Order: sequence, then C-alpha cells, then structure tokens
Amino acid sequence: MRSSHRLALLFLLPSLIFVSLFAFYPIFESFRLSFYRSILTLPWLGQKMVGWENYTDLWTDPVAAESLRTTLFFVVTTIPLELSFGLGMALVMNEVFRGRGLLRAVILIPWAIPTVVSSQMWRFIFNDRYGLFNFLLFGGDASRYLAPLADPTLAPLAIIVAEVWKTAPFVALIVLAGLQSIPDEVYEAASIDGATSWQQFRYVTLPLLRPALLLALLFRTIDALRVFDLVYVMTQGGPADATNVLSFYGYKKIFAEGMVGYGSAIAVGVFLISLILSLVYLRILKSSRLEGIPR
Amino acid sequence: MKRTAMMAIFSLGIAVYCLVPYLWFALTSWKSPAELTAIPPQLIPSFHWDFYRSALEERGLLRYIANSIIVAGAATGITIAIGAVAAYALARFQLPWTNAYLLLLLAISMFPQIAIAGPVWSLLNHLDWLNTYRGLVAAYIALSLPLATLILTTFFREVPHEIEEAALIDGCSRFQAFYKIVLPISAPGIFTAALLVFIYTWNEFFFALIVLTDPNLQTLPVGIALFPGEYTMPWGEIAAASTLATLPLIALTLLFQRGIVRGLAAGAVKG
Amino acid sequence: MNSLVVKAGRCHARNLCRLTALIFLCSLGHSFAAETQLRFVTWKSETAQLWDQPIADFEKQNPGVKVIREIGPQSSTQLHDLITQKLKNRDTEMDVFVMDVIWPAEFASAGWALPLDRFFALAEQKQFLDAPIQANRYRGQIFGVPLFVDAGLLYYRKDLLEKYGVPPPRTWPELVEEAKTILAQEKDPQLVGFSGQFKQYEGLVCNMMEFVLSNGGNLWNEKQLVSTLNQPRALEAVRFVRDRIIGQIAHRGVLAYEEPESLVLFTEGRAIFHRNWPYAWNVANDSQRSKIAGKIGMMPLPYFPGGKGVAALGGWQLAISRFSKKSELAWRFVAFMTGHAMQKRITLSTGRAPARAALYNDREVLDQLPQLKSLWETFKQAVPRPTTPVYVPLSNIMQRYFSSVLALPDTNIDKRAALAARDMDRVLDLVREAPAP
Repeated sequence: MRSSHRLALLFLLPSLIFVSLFAFYPIFESFRLSFYRSILTLPWLGQKMVGWENYTDLWTDPVAAESLRTTLFFVVTTIPLELSFGLGMALVMNEVFRGRGLLRAVILIPWAIPTVVSSQMWRFIFNDRYGLFNFLLFGGDASRYLAPLADPTLAPLAIIVAEVWKTAPFVALIVLAGLQSIPDEVYEAASIDGATSWQQFRYVTLPLLRPALLLALLFRTIDALRVFDLVYVMTQGGPADATNVLSFYGYKKIFAEGMVGYGSAIAVGVFLISLILSLVYLRILKSSRLEGIPR
Repeated sequence: MKRTAMMAIFSLGIAVYCLVPYLWFALTSWKSPAELTAIPPQLIPSFHWDFYRSALEERGLLRYIANSIIVAGAATGITIAIGAVAAYALARFQLPWTNAYLLLLLAISMFPQIAIAGPVWSLLNHLDWLNTYRGLVAAYIALSLPLATLILTTFFREVPHEIEEAALIDGCSRFQAFYKIVLPISAPGIFTAALLVFIYTWNEFFFALIVLTDPNLQTLPVGIALFPGEYTMPWGEIAAASTLATLPLIALTLLFQRGIVRGLAAGAVKG
Repeated sequence: MNSLVVKAGRCHARNLCRLTALIFLCSLGHSFAAETQLRFVTWKSETAQLWDQPIADFEKQNPGVKVIREIGPQSSTQLHDLITQKLKNRDTEMDVFVMDVIWPAEFASAGWALPLDRFFALAEQKQFLDAPIQANRYRGQIFGVPLFVDAGLLYYRKDLLEKYGVPPPRTWPELVEEAKTILAQEKDPQLVGFSGQFKQYEGLVCNMMEFVLSNGGNLWNEKQLVSTLNQPRALEAVRFVRDRIIGQIAHRGVLAYEEPESLVLFTEGRAIFHRNWPYAWNVANDSQRSKIAGKIGMMPLPYFPGGKGVAALGGWQLAISRFSKKSELAWRFVAFMTGHAMQKRITLSTGRAPARAALYNDREVLDQLPQLKSLWETFKQAVPRPTTPVYVPLSNIMQRYFSSVLALPDTNIDKRAALAARDMDRVLDLVREAPAP
C-alpha cells in the first residue's frame, strides 16, 4: 500500500512543483503583502508591516465599496442572462435537425475569439460615430446617436452585452452536454403519463440539468468576479468609475500607482468572495446529487 | 411542421446572435479608410486590403501570431503531459485526500490574476525568466493545471478498471498501463482538455502583458490590445488583425466541434 | 573509375556542406559582433520625420550602432504602465525611453531613471525653456532632456467665425455664446460647438486644469502639500464645464474621447472649437488627413473673466534607464535627438513646438510656423501638473472626481470635491516626510 502511495506521489510531483511555485507561493505572497505598506515609487518609505491597516482602509474606502457594487452588479446581471441564453441555445441544439453540426460550430465562434479581440470589436460596435449599434437604432440620423461608452449608466451595460455574447455559448455547451445525458426513456415515461412539453421541461429536464447548470454557474461566477480584460480594453474603468470593477481597481493600485500592499488586499478580498460563493454552490451541488435521478 | 419552422427561426436567431457582431468587425477590415469613418456606416465594404497590409507590415502581426503559437503550444503540451500523469494518480490510486486536493485546485483557480501577477512576476525575476518564452509558459502551466487536472481526473475515473488489471497482472508497470491503455481510451477527454487549455492560453492577456514586454516576444492578445495610433484609433488595422487572429481558432473549432461537445459532455456531467 | 568519381563527388559534397555551415556561422557571428543595439521605447508617429529620419541620421553618424525602436501605445496612461512594467522588470533591453512631462519625479524617486547631471550641464539646461526643465528636475538632479513642448491650445474654424463675423473668443463664456450663435445659424445637425478630451484618463486632468486655473483656482498648494480642489474658484470652473459645455455645446460623447477621437471630430469638420496640443495643427492642415485644411486658426486658450489664460504643460522628454548597460551610447543618442540641429529639423517637419528657446527666434522656423512667435508666451507660461512622485495616485483621484461630476449631472460638486481633496491630502501626507536629498 505504501509503495503505491509513493508511486502516486511520483506521478503527482511535477504537478505539485508547478502548482506550489506558481500558485501556492504567489497566493501566499499576495496574502503576506496585503499586511504591508509597500509603495514602489517611494522606496524610502520601506516595507512596513501594518497589520490589518490595508483591510480597514479597504473597508472604509468609498471607491472600493463602489467597485464592489459594480462588480456584484456585473455578476448578478451576466449570470442569469448567460444561463437563460445558454439554456435556450442548448435546447434548440438538442433537437435533431439538418445543419445541427454547423450550428454547433457557429456558436463556438464567440467563445473561441480572444477576449481582447471581442472587446475591441464591441468597442467599435458601440462607437458613437461609426458603430453598428447606433446605425441599427437610428439609421443615418447621426444627431440622435448615443455614446454608450461615455455614459455611466450605459457603459456597464455595454460591458455586460460584450461578456454575455461571449460566454453564453460556453454555458450552452455545458448545458447541452447535460441534456444529452438524459435518457429518452424518462421523457417517454413522462409523455405516457400525460405531461405536456412545458411540464416535461419543468419537472423532468430542469431537475436533471441541475448539476450541469450549477457547474456552469460555478465557473461563470468565479470568472465574472475576476473580469478584467473587457474593462481594460473597452473603458479603462470609466466613465466616472462606472466600470471600475474590483480587478481593475486592484490593477490600477498595483501596476499604475505602485501601491502593492493595498492592491493585494483588494485581490484577497475578491478571492474571499469567490471562495464563499463557491462553497455555497458546491453545497447545493452536492445535495442535488444526493437526490439522485427522480423516478 | 410547426416545430421545424420554430426550430428554423430559433436556429437563425442563434446564428445571427453569434455571427453578426463578428462579421461586422471582419467586414470592417476590408473597408477603405474613407469608408471606415463614413456616417452612417457602410455595411458592405469594397474589398481593400490596405488595413491587412498595414497590420502585417507595420505592426508585425505575424510575429505576434508566431509567438502565440509557441507559447500556447508549449504550455498546452506540458500541461497535458503533467496533468494527465497527476490525474491518473488521483483517479486510480485511491488516495484518501483526492477530493481535498481537487477542491484545493479549484480554490487556487479562483484567485484573481492581478494579485498573483505581482508575486509571479517577482519570482520570474529571481529566476531571470522575465521576457522569455519559458517564463510565460511556466506561468501558464500553473494557471491551466487545475482545470486540466480536474477534467482529466474525471475522464480517467470513467475508464473501466478491467483492462488495466489484466495488463498489470500480465506484468506491466503502472506507468506502462497508464501509457499504453488508459491514454488511448481516454483520447477524447485528453483532446478536450488540450483544446480548452490551448484556447485559454491563446486568449490569455494579463500575464502576457506583464511578463513579456519585449515586442519580439509578445503574444497576439497583447499585440492587439496595444495597437498604437498617434492621431487616430486604428480601427481598420485592429479589425484586420483580429480577423486574422481568429480565423485559425475558428477553423479549429469548426473542425473539432463534435469532439469538443462530446468531451465536455463526459466531463461536465460526471464531474 | 566510377567509385573514384563517386568518392570524389561525396567528398565534394561534404566540403560544400562544411563551407555552407562555415559561411552561415560567420554570418551569425558577424551580425552579433559588429553591431551594437540601442533600444528606444516610444510611441509610433504617423510622420516618418519624427523618429525614423533622425534615427537613420544617427545611425549614419555612428556606424555600427543600430537603434531599435519599440512601439508602445499612444495613450500616455497605457504607455506609462508599459514602460514602468519594463523598469520594474529591470529590463536591460531598454536603454532610452520617452517620458511624459508628469513622470520624471515618479521615475526619479523610484530609482528608474538615470540622473543625467554628469552629461547634461546646467549651462546646457539653460538653452531650453524653463518649464520643461523644471519638470525634469527632482531634488536637485535632472532626469530627462526635453524633446518638445506641448501646451494646451484652442483651435477654431476660421472660415465659420469669419462667415458669421464673430471674433476669436477671449473668455470661456464668449466661446460658449459664439458656438451657440454659429450652431443656430449653420443648422448642420452633425456640427458641434466644442471638442475636447473628457474621458476618465490623464488628459481629463489637463483639460480641467486649464479651466480651473484660468479662473484663478488651482489643483494643489505645492508649498503646503494640500489639495485645493474644493476652493470656490475651482468649484466654479468645474460647474461651468458641467453646465455650459458638456451636453450643451459639446455632445456627451466627449466623455469617452482621448486626443485621437476628439481630433477626428474636428478634422472631419464637425466641430467649431477644439482643444488640443500643438501637434494637431499639422494634422488638421494636412489635406490628406483633414477636411478642413487651411480653414483653421490657433490661439491661446480662453480664460474666465478676472483670470488669465492657462495652458497645461505637456511635452515629451528623453530619459535613460538606470538598468541600461550602454548609458554612454544612450546619452550620445539623447544628445543627438535633442541637439539644436535635430530639434530644428523635427520642428520644421512635424510642426511640434521645440523645447530649445533659441528656435523661437530662428527665422527659418518662424517662416514656416509663424504661430510659434505668438505661442512663445503661452509656452513660457505653461503650468505643469503637480510634480511629485505620487502624481499617479493624485491623478487617479482627480480623474475620478472630474469624470463623476461631468458624467453625472446630478452629483453634488461641493461634496465630491471635498472627498477628492481629502483623498489627495492623504496621498500627499506620504511625501511630507520625504528624506532630504
């Protein structure tokens, strides 16, 4: 038994090395730095251990509070949209019809495009002079053109549109996989019992999809909390900090202002939020698995 | 009949949703500079290649693509190699702490990149690996290992034990059983994991931005994000570069779409 | 006989291979050994005369040296992040780089820029305009050599103003009135009154600073190291911009504009007045790039009644990285690019305002760019943004404040200003106890 454990460790060793060096260590460093005052442009201040000061400052920082609100708004809006669009797409693709393969390929396109590319693309679509968005809404009447990326109310929505466009297909794939694993007999039995299409969907499909949906929810929530690329390319946090999500705020602090300690505290904050949410999801996921397949 | 019609409409809707934004951008890349700034915007361009020429010649697009291929390729290859071996151990060796380890991997992947970027950068600095391919590849391996390990572990768990047991009894070592039996059977899963890792590392922006500051080494996302322009926003060139950058990816996904779906099916549901 | 031929053939082939390999290796050695590379990081210029020509000349004068130009983003904010990342990386692959006028204090304090005092004597420093030189000094040392000077200017459509018999405006309220008059009579739905840079980025601080200071207010009190954003004159100026300009004579889209977008609006003939740096003059007069070539005028920025016109000091300087292994060669390049002859060449070919004072009296320069004579005063009096190592955090606070107030018309300016001032003071406290140089 012990020799097999030793062998197992050997198999795991390369993995462990990488993960320790480039994941454990940096996360630990990040935690550690959050307890220091470290400002790169003022090296004569030295690196002073300041305990919880960064965290108390963060707690009372109105910009951070606003940033948290913005980030949570982003998460709470994109996730339901992605899930419903993804579910809809998956339901359509689950039907057998000609050209299904082609459609599946098409919906992978948004997902395959690099985020920085799709960000530039959406930035151009929302351009206040030459963009497709204004053209579709107002045709040639340039006097009525909007400037979504210059409006604090519309800019976050523009980012959300760009995000959902890209990730709904990914959700659709996961849900499709889940749909395809539901055996036909279940539906047949339900039909025999007299269930309508809608009832079948609500009482058979949805419950059986729960694991897949929760998995999609888990991955998407973690990613949405960390969104950065879109903001960096499309708005740089503006206008009026309307798109200043936590990751971008942390980036500004660490990389632009050189305030490494404070920026690390922001990152730890994001991590803790992700952790809590993930634990909640995993709880729900585990309990739904235990329920088993309804009969 | 009605159902088919509805399906057709929905399918069309989905196709429009996915394609129109991309097509609009791609069509922009073929406009002439005057058409680009026309108000109202023109839908169908006259086919000018100016922007492509500019993007390729003046902005070094091919070099960015080459760098991306090198970095993403190396990262994917090594990640799958290391991850598969680790996943096999986790799936087969009945270790008591398997689930805890997997959860830990999940937790690691949740940490915001901006925070670990700093320490990763200073680590690479100590190793003198900044502004090198191996530096970025090392970071990418660490970033993709959690996801790859999770997916692969799930796949390996599904492989029936019997064939392996038979081989072990016949005198094969564990590694040989892994190499010669489990790997070929799990090819779809491995392929899926590889594709996911490749797309992730191909699209990754932030680490590439801070690790590679030498333009000879920079990858495609960084190249496109930093497209300079002194007087005007070079939308034409950006559109051209983006179209060029995404065509290989699109070709890949079109070719392998069935494999992707099947792979995700096995992984997502069982996982 | 045959086998001999074959053997000879094989021998011949082997020798050929060896020869090829030798030539290949030699060529490699040649390219590595004979050439010294100097790496220069800057933004791309649309005019080859700005970097390409001078670099080619330098290489001709210094055989064996190749200057590799690395292109960064046009946005000063993004360029800053890129260059500082290299410096944090202790990147030895960067020798010379451009510095925006607001970076020297930061780079000096962080130990990123090489002090240039041993190369750049005080007597030579006096050949340049005073304001940029001061911006390059930190605690008694100099860290950059000014290449060209920028100051905010007002551009206007001479043809439109003449058409309606309206003189170039002296004050901001005059500008607003004139814009409204022209707009009402032109009846062109695509025409706007004013185009400026109001996106939440560094340029916003420049634009707003010009309004605030021309009303007699200020961003900070340098001696006391406190913010003055919440003083009445500053508040008044900001209120004016929010209520009379944004959404009135300037469409709300300017809240997402940096220099490129705002300039395009002007060169497409869709704006009456435009605020930008001196480079815009050449672009707007270039008939290939602009629809209004020859129809524009340029003048110092307006002021508020009782105040005086203020231009934000901009401009770019050349600096040497502290981690460069070729500082002597780097200095030779810097001296070349900022020398009298080269600055004159650049000025004549790009229209950018030189940093060397003598060129403002040079007949050739004034022949081609007569406006430089009238702008001399503007440049001499251009006001720098706060010169302190913590300028970036200060700027972020100000950007946040200005953008919030301009983009959200219902915000309470006084409250926001008070908050911004408080945040700025906290940052300034950090440098209060700076050690003596």
